[in-house]
Amino acid sequence: MASVVELKEKHAVATASVNSLRERLRQRRQMLLDTDVERYSKAQGRTPVSFNSTDLVCCRTLQGHSGKVYSLDWTPEKNWIVSASQDGRLIVWNALTSQKTHAIKLHCPWVMTCAFAPNGQSVACGGLDSACSIFNLNSQADRDGNIPVSRILTGHKGYVSSCQYVPDQETRLITSSGDQTCVLWDVTTGQRISIFGGEFPSGHTADVLSVSINSSNTNMFVSGSCDATVRLWDIRIASRAVRTYHGHEGDINSVKFFPDGQRFGTGSDDGTCRLFDMRTGHQLQVYSREPDRNDNELPTVTSIAFSISGRLLFAGYSNGDCYVWDTLLAEVVLNLGNLQNSHEGRISCLGLSSDGSALCTGSWDKNLKIWAFSGHRKIV
Amino acid sequence: MAASSSSSAAAGGGGVGEYSFAAEYDGPPLPSYSLPRAIPLDLSRIPLASLSSPSASPPPLTASPLPVVRPLTPSSLCSAIHAHRAAGTSSSAAAGGGGGGGSGVAAGGGGGASAAVDSPTSVIENHHAALHHSAELPSTPSDDENADEALPSKAPVVTFAETSGSLLQSSEDGDENDNEEDEFDEEEYGDEALPVRSSGSLSPARWRGEAKSRGCFRCGKVGSFWARGDKESCLACGARYCAGCLLRAMGSMPEGRKCLDCIGRPVAESKRESLGRGSRVLRRLLSAPEVELVMRSERECVANQLRPEDVYVNGAKLSPEELVVLQGCQCPPSKLRPGFYWYDKVSGFWGKEGHKPHCIISANLNVGGALDQKASNGNTGILINGREITKSELQMLKLAGVQCAGKPHFWVNADGTYQEEGQKTVKGKIWDKPIVKLLSPVLSLPTPNKANNHCGEEPVHMVNRLIPDYLEQRTIQKLLLVGSGTSTILKQAKFLYKSKPFSVEECEDLRLIIQSNIYNYLGILLEGRERFEEEAISDRTTCQSDPSSSDQCEPELSNEVHEYSISPRLKAFSDWILKAMAIGNLEDIFPAASREYAPLVEELWKDSAIQATYKRRSELPFLPSAASYFLDKAVDISRTEYELSDMDILYADGITSSDGLASTDFSFPQLALDGRGFDEPDDPQDTLLRYQLIRINNKGLHENCKWLQMFDDVRLVIFCVAVSDYDEYYEDANGNVVNKMMESRQLFESIALHPIFEQMDFLLLLTKFDILDQKIGKSPLTSCDWFSDFTPLVSRNLINGTSKSSRGSSTGSTLAQMAGHYIAVKFKSLFQSFTERKLYVSYVNALDQESVRSAIRYGREIIKWEDEKPVFGSSETMYSEEPSSYSLT
Repeated sequence: MASVVELKEKHAVATASVNSLRERLRQRRQMLLDTDVERYSKAQGRTPVSFNSTDLVCCRTLQGHSGKVYSLDWTPEKNWIVSASQDGRLIVWNALTSQKTHAIKLHCPWVMTCAFAPNGQSVACGGLDSACSIFNLNSQADRDGNIPVSRILTGHKGYVSSCQYVPDQETRLITSSGDQTCVLWDVTTGQRISIFGGEFPSGHTADVLSVSINSSNTNMFVSGSCDATVRLWDIRIASRAVRTYHGHEGDINSVKFFPDGQRFGTGSDDGTCRLFDMRTGHQLQVYSREPDRNDNELPTVTSIAFSISGRLLFAGYSNGDCYVWDTLLAEVVLNLGNLQNSHEGRISCLGLSSDGSALCTGSWDKNLKIWAFSGHRKIV
Repeated sequence: MAASSSSSAAAGGGGVGEYSFAAEYDGPPLPSYSLPRAIPLDLSRIPLASLSSPSASPPPLTASPLPVVRPLTPSSLCSAIHAHRAAGTSSSAAAGGGGGGGSGVAAGGGGGASAAVDSPTSVIENHHAALHHSAELPSTPSDDENADEALPSKAPVVTFAETSGSLLQSSEDGDENDNEEDEFDEEEYGDEALPVRSSGSLSPARWRGEAKSRGCFRCGKVGSFWARGDKESCLACGARYCAGCLLRAMGSMPEGRKCLDCIGRPVAESKRESLGRGSRVLRRLLSAPEVELVMRSERECVANQLRPEDVYVNGAKLSPEELVVLQGCQCPPSKLRPGFYWYDKVSGFWGKEGHKPHCIISANLNVGGALDQKASNGNTGILINGREITKSELQMLKLAGVQCAGKPHFWVNADGTYQEEGQKTVKGKIWDKPIVKLLSPVLSLPTPNKANNHCGEEPVHMVNRLIPDYLEQRTIQKLLLVGSGTSTILKQAKFLYKSKPFSVEECEDLRLIIQSNIYNYLGILLEGRERFEEEAISDRTTCQSDPSSSDQCEPELSNEVHEYSISPRLKAFSDWILKAMAIGNLEDIFPAASREYAPLVEELWKDSAIQATYKRRSELPFLPSAASYFLDKAVDISRTEYELSDMDILYADGITSSDGLASTDFSFPQLALDGRGFDEPDDPQDTLLRYQLIRINNKGLHENCKWLQMFDDVRLVIFCVAVSDYDEYYEDANGNVVNKMMESRQLFESIALHPIFEQMDFLLLLTKFDILDQKIGKSPLTSCDWFSDFTPLVSRNLINGTSKSSRGSSTGSTLAQMAGHYIAVKFKSLFQSFTERKLYVSYVNALDQESVRSAIRYGREIIKWEDEKPVFGSSETMYSEEPSSYSLT
């Protein structure tokens, strides 16, 4: 049995050296980070976006869930929103009339994520049942008005934390899971096309909480994980992560690609949002709020979204705040949590409509709210 | 926008707050005039329509004068308004209000201050509303904000009531309303309808349906388009909106057609009929599926349901559970409305108080009080089940050929059999004669429903019936199951409470799990075999202790057949399995390839080397304890036609292949299936309660327990700990060896300390006593650091003696039992130290159905105690001291 002991010793030594190398990498990276977006834009003389407190208004409140709202997604074309709640329902809303168009009762009520297919004809959702369920909105409802599941994607060994359809591809879906992997699925066959992470050494070492697919190059996607890293993956190469991005000090709850597809933003349990450059692997900017006066725990970032231009970053916080950051100058432009008709609970999810005209926020207060710019826009 | 203009006007009013319309009086003092002032409303002084005695009803049979509330006519409305103004108090106005079933009409404040009111509560409400609406309804939030900013500073500004002319006008054009009211009244007092008495809770909190009846409540628009079909009114307050304002005023309609302010309020009784019936304007505005969903939520949401406190059965107010029973029975009373009813539990007769039977519903429902003799106000002297029947019933009895001479007292059962009081013999069946069924409708008497016939006397089984969604949420009790060995307990619960515990797919899933696991176990065995073989070889080489001759020794040894060597063919197979295991794609190969390799597996299993390894399985730490159960029948399992037995299911590792969350719904059956009456509930409410056992996999729970937040609505956390874990270790991802018991403890801590479970009750289930019993003699409990102070009182000779039955001399309990108690106490004090609450503990043998059953029942008792805690105060301490169930044998 001596060999086993020997191996263990070797393993320990190797682990230690890996850790020290990691630390050196971190230090080196820190050293190289001599500037950030904020300082550069200030040097360029950019002025922050200014927002009046009435410029963004809540123009719709979508009531109808009887549990915490956990996730939402807009259709790419129509003004529809799908939302998933702890009451075990998916509701598809017409954002214009604020009416429900579909209410889907789920087999497993512990749902964590939902997504619209690019064509807006089906929705996907996943949660603690470790499966991703696909519902075709056109399928015939049964006697109780429930839409049957059209396909269940099984294979994950942990909860499904996030799912997103590959843009322009109805049949491809990427999920992230608590089993430390991301999976690319073929929705029509229900088969896994590739698994990212898991046994391969460059995968995440903790639960993956979020994915975001690059809209300009749909072969690339990023995943954020509880191991405080973001990894960039190429759909065609499942065996290893293209790049790993360090910087956060807590679980990464949300990742979102910047509209230009060259950068991405993250929101984390450490209370900060960060902007990373996809190609250089550098952290471009930290968006951190000042610590509370009451010396409370820093609220965590639950979800983020970028405006169409990328100038604004919307970040939902666990204390019910929803900050609008100026991405260039790293200043808070507005806090939706302080506005009229704001949510009463944690903001759990947010998303921008495809044309960028409206923001939808979902909260633990069971409601979704749609916010729109009211500066010179007439609200119906 | 009309809204914005008016609100800006209001804001402007706020802006000019410095000006005052009335200059302060600075003339000579006026000693004798008392200033008119509003007298604060004293609710107790307002004359209300008093509750009349149960025997009274709209067509009064008794001569006693009853305070009758009549709907307001336009003229009475005017006079009420004038009286109100003249008196300067609101009490007289209230006298005219409080109309029956919400049909009471009053002009609410339209735009200006309210003047007339319909119920005392709405006085306040309307004043409040007036204040609010003077600043216009919320239009655009920005406008609203202005208005709100303006409001505080505007407080002293006087809002003037509109001229009485406009009020008169509004009462004049009440013609249309009156027509509508008449319709409602017909419904109210028609044949179907039941008497509704006015009580505070029955009338809507505020009714503004008639305010500005010509115009939209929001925009005030009146036009030719304002036809009947082009408006929609709020179900709760009656405010009407034009098509343009409807969606703004009602938002996403989570409870159907109610304005935003009214969400959560009960619907007006007069509108109950129209619940879930779509209107033209909605269909015009919204798409068909949208309308359907609005109507569905209108029908099904909790706030729109009949309120149990409004329904009296046999003189007793219903509890929510009773109402559920009533509405959920097989033949529920149709169109149940608030009111007073009598119900004959034996026969199922149902009617409004003071009336003959209205219908026959399911019998034996445990709702309401005791049936009164005068319930249906009969005067025939003949009693059926203690109720004096009416004349028409008597006629029917005669038609049915029942001897009614001498005013007999009958007992009539649900199936129509009747017998005379005090006699055993069944005299006959009332419904047997076809003429009875023919003539009953003529006498407007009910006949039994067909479904009723075969439900007979047997109690209603709530288990198999579908419970509507809104009830389900109210009655489901969630139990969260977490820890080790939870899947077995969940599976046991399924066996216990489900008629069909596992679906075909689930069984297939489990079969795959077992089949792929068997290869895993085999792999572990093969690994062990290699190790043992190596050891044997090295033993032998050391024995020979001749390093020089080892070169020659090697080939010789390999040829030599010793205990752990296998044939080359099997060796190849074993290498292949081991390789697959190392790469980690064993699951991809198996169990898909089971059929192909079944004979090989059989051969391998029967091979003496494997059997020899298997004998030394205690030296294989990674072989789970369940492995031996399956390895014993490895040959069977690897066959494709392998069928699962219940025991196989219990022993299987996990429930689904993903091993994610699993849950099962059950309710405690009224009569236990095995006829032991074990789970018979003692109160009727209990049958309604459904339980959901949710099992989560602790592998997915990391130190921060991120998604535990989803379980904030569970009632009880059941934490399972295998007591045999104390000397078991596993290797975590970082290569650290962790004691399983310490890990359980850490998980327990992080769950108990999770903010979501701050006030949660915890039940600790200690399992695997059988294994503890086996090994406690060999391996002391103190091998786990946490249990280092375990010093049981055991006589010395027993410690040295055999471990088989180490019976403590002083206590009479075995060492394992003492260890179990010790562990329980350890967990209790741990729990107490950080929550200051009590931890409930029970001992379970997960493989024993009865023991799991009693554990789940214990969980149910805990929830019940918690519910009753505020009532009984400190009495819970007497329960929690000792666990209710002992499954130790």
